[in-house]
Amino acid sequence: MSSHPKPEPVGDVVGASVPKPDAREKVTGRAVYTDDLRVPGMLHGVLLGSPHAHARILSYDTSLAKALPGVRAVLTAEDLPPVDIGAVIKDQPLLARGKVRYVGEPVAAVAAVDPTTARRALELIRVQYEVLPPVFDAEAALRPDAPVLHAPRGPGHPNAASHIRLIEGEPDGAWAKCDVIIEDVYETPAQQHIYLEPCSTLAEVDPDTGRITLHTSTQTAFRVQAITAEALAVPMSRIRVLVPRVGGAFGGKVESTNQPITAALALATGAPVKMTFSRTDDMTMMRSRHGARIHMRTGATRDGRILARQVRIYFDTGAYADDGPFVANIGSYFARGPYRIPHVDVECWCVYTNKLRAGAFRGFGNPQIHFASEVQVDRLAEALGMDPIELRLRNALETGEKWLGGAPVESGTLHACLERAREVSDWQRRRQRAPPAPGKRRGIGMAAVAHVSGLLGSSATVRINEDGSVNVSTGAVDTGQGSDTALAQVAAGALGVPLSQLHFSRPDTDTSPYDWCTGGTRTTFTVGHVITQACEQVREQLFEHASAMLQRPVQQLELRPGGHVGVRGEPGTSVSFGAISGYALYVAGGPILASARWLFPAWQLDTQRTHVEGLTSMGNGFFVFAAQVAEVEVDELTGHVEVLEAWSVHDVGRVINPAAAEGQIQGGFVQGLGYALTEELLWKEGHLLNPTMGGYKVPGALDVPRAIHSVLLEHPAGPGPFGAKGVAEVSLVGVAPAICNAIRHATGANIRRIPATGERVLRELLARETQGGH
Amino acid sequence: MRYAEPETVEEGLALLAAHDDARCLAGGASLVAMMNAGRVAPGMLVSLHRIPELSDITETGDGLWLGAMCTHRGVAAEPRLRGAMAVVRSAAGQLAHPAIRNMATLGGSVCLADPHTELPAALVAASARAEVAGPGGRRLVPVESLLVDGFRTSLQRGELVTRVFIPRGTDGAVGHHLRFSRVSSDYPTVSLSLVLVMDGDTCRQARVVVGASGPVPLHVDAADQRLVGTRLEEADVAEAGRLLVRAATPLDDVRGSAEYRRMLIPRLLGRALSQAREHAHV
Repeated sequence: MSSHPKPEPVGDVVGASVPKPDAREKVTGRAVYTDDLRVPGMLHGVLLGSPHAHARILSYDTSLAKALPGVRAVLTAEDLPPVDIGAVIKDQPLLARGKVRYVGEPVAAVAAVDPTTARRALELIRVQYEVLPPVFDAEAALRPDAPVLHAPRGPGHPNAASHIRLIEGEPDGAWAKCDVIIEDVYETPAQQHIYLEPCSTLAEVDPDTGRITLHTSTQTAFRVQAITAEALAVPMSRIRVLVPRVGGAFGGKVESTNQPITAALALATGAPVKMTFSRTDDMTMMRSRHGARIHMRTGATRDGRILARQVRIYFDTGAYADDGPFVANIGSYFARGPYRIPHVDVECWCVYTNKLRAGAFRGFGNPQIHFASEVQVDRLAEALGMDPIELRLRNALETGEKWLGGAPVESGTLHACLERAREVSDWQRRRQRAPPAPGKRRGIGMAAVAHVSGLLGSSATVRINEDGSVNVSTGAVDTGQGSDTALAQVAAGALGVPLSQLHFSRPDTDTSPYDWCTGGTRTTFTVGHVITQACEQVREQLFEHASAMLQRPVQQLELRPGGHVGVRGEPGTSVSFGAISGYALYVAGGPILASARWLFPAWQLDTQRTHVEGLTSMGNGFFVFAAQVAEVEVDELTGHVEVLEAWSVHDVGRVINPAAAEGQIQGGFVQGLGYALTEELLWKEGHLLNPTMGGYKVPGALDVPRAIHSVLLEHPAGPGPFGAKGVAEVSLVGVAPAICNAIRHATGANIRRIPATGERVLRELLARETQGGH
Repeated sequence: MRYAEPETVEEGLALLAAHDDARCLAGGASLVAMMNAGRVAPGMLVSLHRIPELSDITETGDGLWLGAMCTHRGVAAEPRLRGAMAVVRSAAGQLAHPAIRNMATLGGSVCLADPHTELPAALVAASARAEVAGPGGRRLVPVESLLVDGFRTSLQRGELVTRVFIPRGTDGAVGHHLRFSRVSSDYPTVSLSLVLVMDGDTCRQARVVVGASGPVPLHVDAADQRLVGTRLEEADVAEAGRLLVRAATPLDDVRGSAEYRRMLIPRLLGRALSQAREHAHV
């Protein structure tokens, strides 16, 4: 992976803050999302949720619902193929079969002529349950006598969806050599994605061929096609997936949402069916970030060398595994942090409980472990009397050093990020504490951040049209973050054409080349890579023809901005892409097109160096680094925390679109701010207490700092386009620990549980007062 | 569902009398949201938008009459709400967010009687009275006695609130509203409304009302009296705060535990009093 050619982009489109072409239609409300689609004869689908957290289904009676005028289909598990789906563990039916495992779990589906009739039909469905004892806490679920959710899959506790162990060095012996040891238990919440667009699917069945077309809000057309085919036991070739504009996803639309069940309703009725979730159905039925409890102990020598760490992580994956075991992989893989700690013992459990499933969410296990690690490292700095940035610089991995498990860090730019963060935030001065407003205390905190960019398979097709314009087709979904724009810029820069001459196709499983998913901080990085590879082949074809047309050897040719090939050093000589394309189409060679494909290599685990149990590779891992700083004011009376200003410094390798990258970083910071201070699903006896935007609070415009400074460092490296690295998830990962470290700097309060609500912070402040702290 | 837009209060009352399941539509900020959520399904909606007198604002020697259809945005911008009356203006300006303040109305806030929002507590602190029109004519009711329980008023079927009187209060009085919420624009976790009269450093009058800490705005005479005659020193405020906490009946909910609310009441009382005193010196 080390010797990829890094051609410089042609022209000035790479690195320009090109506006997103879909921005205008979105701000004027014209953009077409799935729920905007209407077709003749369309029915509306809704789902009936379970009222119990854990119960056996004894019987159904759907006769009253079916008899309601306007109802066209009522489905239960008895009407569906006996298939369970799941990315890692096949544990999940489309509609509960035999048992329900969380409150809100879909039990029945209705299609009717309008949403009101459909909802009325739900009230007429009778389901008899035998209530079973539930379990709501991940550690409690691992006790021998805990209620069991799923049939055992092998030895080990049946509620453990995965169990990982990673050991390096000799952790047991190392503690004696540590001068300072910090130990705490950290807790992080089930955060929800709160994409603005709730999950939505329109399914149509062709009456002649039986082919199912899905228009849906998703991060991946191809996974939706595969999962729907699997769930309905039909061949993939019978399913086509198209993706209209997507109103945010953040990991919540990585796996299937309501596509398979909507397709099942369309098959059952023979009519088009649309299912758009209400916000409450979406919050109750879809998925969240994994809540986690992390026991962590870290020790260092007096001179600030971190020697040993012991970690035990419990990820609560809810009723179904979903992406949980993968999330647990990332959480474990990052448990050492970006530090050279010689002695490490990591144990990680991913555990079933009777709650909403947890799955992929921006950061994917990493925000949880970063919260624990970065708060603990800060406390270590405090105990050592060292500046927090200084301690991190002393222990940060550099290029060529090994990650936990033995993979090399190929572009170790954490030092650069930390140093720039120190400079741009005016760290030394602010650390002296500016005078706060009356009744407030002020502090500044930071976190070092590491993440991985890129995984799994991507492909791209690039072709030159007769007029010299360029079509790029990838199958990648733009979820609103702007990847269509960035990827178009990559192609334009690789071939030297203006964006006005470039058409970037939207995903369609019939015609687009495969892309795994918009997730894992991979789209610009991985899809951008295959675009540059395809463009390179197209360039070779263009040069071959131009060589014949200009009567010059290929070695003397160059790409010129505007879609031309010319002779190097001879400004007067050039042929346009249009002329070359005409030559190829009518004189020699045939149409100009090329495809490129790539599977990101699996991560390396050096089992000589590391004792590894239970860690499976999805094959991701180009390391990327960042540093985040937050300045806060804490209200002494209420405990309320206000973030005044923030700095987020990222090595993006190469900036493709500065405005888009800065926007994505600011968005990540705000989502991280919600995670740190306000966002948390709350349950009482298995029932969600806040499945509304009124009860579950994301930060609003007045709750974000007056400035979030996005700072882009460019250290090009690796296979990404022109050396670009991913940034999408990274900007969320360190926000919570940076804010909590700032709270501790301001008040001394050691926040171990997020969100750091006013109530939790006030209790910490009062506890310190009674202990005589200050 | 039927919909009507009467042009006089009397027409409105006739419509209410003729339909058992009629509801008044004021700003619609809460009612329409509840209808969308399927929580209420009125058979008849009587819009109050076309009744001119409901938007009138009239100043008298004793205070200000605010029409029930005045929006919170309008109330927040009303310069005649000075002195003691400023508690209402202050609360209206902090309620929810601009979109809600543009829609929602004073009369709507009174009739909804939501204990978690700003206006009920502020109106009680201001000793406001509501004019209620019904089949038997019009009567004036103190807002404090109109609010009988969470989301319940003493209004009878077929009655509507036409306007609210905010008394001018004692010369030199200041009114102030302080809210605390998880994020801006959320419902308050706790709010404090007060009217204060100072004579130098000595408190001559105090009327303190706590919002979001029980089914109706919490007003405790003994707490007011505990402050009167004192210099509002820490012990005085703490003791008054204790009296309020003792009478408070907050609930655990997503905005905070009952215990947190009990912690906040005396803390916010101190802050509200000192902020009000700053206003008094301006």
